[in-house]
Amino acid sequence: MEQQFTLTSEMRDNRLIISTSGYVNNVGGEAIAKEFSRHFEKGTKEVIINLAQSKVVNSVGMSFLIEIIEQLHEANGKLIFTNLDPAVEKMLSIMGLFKFAGKEPTVEHAMKSFAHQK
Amino acid sequence: MLVKDAVTLKIALPKIPDIELVALEGLDRLAHHMGIAEEKIGEAKILVTEAIINALEHSGEKSPPVRVEFTMTTKELVIFVRDYGKGFEPASIGEPDIRTKMGSKNKRGWGLKVMKSMSDDFRIESGKHGTKITIRKLLT
Repeated sequence: MEQQFTLTSEMRDNRLIISTSGYVNNVGGEAIAKEFSRHFEKGTKEVIINLAQSKVVNSVGMSFLIEIIEQLHEANGKLIFTNLDPAVEKMLSIMGLFKFAGKEPTVEHAMKSFAHQK
Repeated sequence: MLVKDAVTLKIALPKIPDIELVALEGLDRLAHHMGIAEEKIGEAKILVTEAIINALEHSGEKSPPVRVEFTMTTKELVIFVRDYGKGFEPASIGEPDIRTKMGSKNKRGWGLKVMKSMSDDFRIESGKHGTKITIRKLLT
């Protein structure tokens, strides 16, 4: 059985890295959005969501991430997804999320991508 | 290549949180038994998840359990999901668009689009006695 959803976050070079584990459903999506808001209110505009340990997601959970993308877009910030399972990546692509968010293989690649944009 | 007969799994899911994970566990076991590639299993899991959460959303608290049936061969998976809710008019559900959603309070409503786009055939019938979704997914 898939694991219960959990989330960890860290700040690295003024960038927020949110790493999830388990099923990202509505509860998981809302938890990610809340964690983002806590840091966004303090001025964080570069965010990485690492889904390495979340192989199962649903569209309701992912819809919470649209709110994050929207807020970052309006603030000239950016979200990068990393470590996406191929099926999850396909789902996010169908939803059009990569029109406004990036994707990289790993957190380290995402950190480099942000650094190159400076 | 070893040809295996079709296998079928039937489950009745009550409306409790994350019950779709039970169906995913069954699907996972079937797929590994049949030697299906991981990428196809991942896509099949998303299709099953979306079909079941759609069914649970439209089921009333007192509705009978959602019926789920998988029929899998080494070549394809057929997913059948039936709920006994009040039904809805699929044609009335507009195609969601990320640009529109970003300006809207309602960010949800992606399930049908995901199921249509990720499957090889998608059929939905809905009426006052509930909704039936049939999805065909090629596994090769």
